[in-house]
Amino acid sequence: MSEVVALKNQRSGPRLRIGFLRLTDSAPAIVAHEFGYFAEEGVDAELLEEPSWANIADKLAYGFLDAAVIVPPLAFAIELGLRGVSQRLVIPCNISMGGNTITLATALARRVQEKCENRGLSVPQALADSLAVSQADQRPLPLGVVHAYSTHNLLLRYWLATAGLHAGRDMRLSVVPPARAVEALKSGQIAGFCAGAPWGEIAAREGAGINVACSDDIWRAAPEKAFAVREHWAQEHPDALKGAVRALVRAGQFCDAPENASYTGALLSRQKYLAVDSHAILSSLPGGAIAQNNLSRFFRGAATFPWRSHALWFLEQMARWDLIGNVDAQGLAARVYRSDLYRAAVAPLGISVPTADSKSEGAHDAPWSLDAAPKPIAMGPDSFCDGLIFEAAPAPVSF
Amino acid sequence: MALTILLIDTDTERARALEDKLSASGYARVLRAEGPDLAAAVERTKPDLVIIDMALPDRDALEDIRSVSAASPVVMFAGTDDPAFAQEAIAAGVCSYNMSGIALQDVRPILASAIALFQRYRHVETELAAAKALLNERRLIERAKAILMKDRKMTEPDAYRWLQKKAMNESRKLAQVVADFVAEAENQRKETKP
Repeated sequence: MSEVVALKNQRSGPRLRIGFLRLTDSAPAIVAHEFGYFAEEGVDAELLEEPSWANIADKLAYGFLDAAVIVPPLAFAIELGLRGVSQRLVIPCNISMGGNTITLATALARRVQEKCENRGLSVPQALADSLAVSQADQRPLPLGVVHAYSTHNLLLRYWLATAGLHAGRDMRLSVVPPARAVEALKSGQIAGFCAGAPWGEIAAREGAGINVACSDDIWRAAPEKAFAVREHWAQEHPDALKGAVRALVRAGQFCDAPENASYTGALLSRQKYLAVDSHAILSSLPGGAIAQNNLSRFFRGAATFPWRSHALWFLEQMARWDLIGNVDAQGLAARVYRSDLYRAAVAPLGISVPTADSKSEGAHDAPWSLDAAPKPIAMGPDSFCDGLIFEAAPAPVSF
Repeated sequence: MALTILLIDTDTERARALEDKLSASGYARVLRAEGPDLAAAVERTKPDLVIIDMALPDRDALEDIRSVSAASPVVMFAGTDDPAFAQEAIAAGVCSYNMSGIALQDVRPILASAIALFQRYRHVETELAAAKALLNERRLIERAKAILMKDRKMTEPDAYRWLQKKAMNESRKLAQVVADFVAEAENQRKETKP
């Protein structure tokens, strides 16, 4: 199918090797490829399914991949050389918001839900309580996160902290790759996990676990995946980079439209992509979800814009949990999150673009309107579960 | 010096070959582990070096091994020491983690054997995949011809020429044209069914 569309358009242009994992929010890259959006923009994209975040990181670092659909904290880890050789990366656009679940083994989830109902505890409080009880008789099982440098690790830690739980001190976290999370839950290796869609839904369908919370329960507008490109590639192919961003933004619009959910779900379920039941994928796609709370968003609410304030939030949380040392967060955020590249790329699309590079994160409990040109953008609520507001300090003026 | 090496590879034949080779050299003690709880295996065996198949998602767990073995440093040999060497390893599909801070030159022969072995097995895999692709292509051509003969009442040679011409017109490989043609025909068939 990809070849059919690609040939109707143009096939030349620089090759862009994009790595992705078997996750629902790889959708825009897959759609852009299959529908020939990349080809239309003169980008010869090649999609490579990788088994693990470590592979994405190593292959980006050594130039076996030019780009990837990535969890932003890992992009910073690669940039800083925290896990092997370092590689300069740029993020010219975001890919998705939301879509993660916190999934607990069925028995534990039931205990947690009971405590929530009977004693009016929040879910993390009830979880803390349940773990304290089980701690008395045996070493409790860890909760799984998909990688140390993942949004999941940061979101789960943030959420647990609201109940006074300090992961690593009060309870163990263990790294379990997303595609292995369900198996690890079934085999009793972990008590639960925080992972991207569709794995929480698959655990629920197989009766192995219950989803007790999702991204939105922690941060109602949580940035999730971003598109990271090796800076060297971006500099060598400035036009193709813009084209790739346009292709991804257009694909994001497609994936975000409710009427396209079943098509996107069927496409992603193919053997060469996620290789899972399309119904499990549908459950977190806009238009395919029954409950609207665990939704991946691919375009609405400025989902594709690379917010500097998102970068700074990630860096602050990485520092909070000792995942990074002292870094010049402002400088790093500005170097990696490239709103200038985004603006230049999407200009021909005529879509509304935010006028600022940063915003207050968590300040809105209700829908609001974002300053953007040519028209304001309708935004959803963006509050955090603890009600805090994250103000990214304004970037220093440079001359 | 006998190094303890933890080998994580689901290809048992390749793992055994590497184990034999390293054990015969006399300076390595090879242990084997399989998922899912590799962090526990590392904690239990305290290896100097972990060699793992890059195709295993479990590699992510090894990245965070600090949580279980605070004492031993974890260095990926895909480190800054020797980028060319690391590149070769990644291309072959093997990755290694230095768990106890041994120097690269001490384990280079061990890693080199692993890389060579992985390359050899990869070569065999590629050949096998090519053979399978060829078989699949033949099967699809037969299927496409059958569809054309049934739906458009073509003769077999006409059907084959029709496919060849389509490939030529679209300047694509016959295999791709045929695969798409069959997929489309089968989709239509599904849709027209009640």
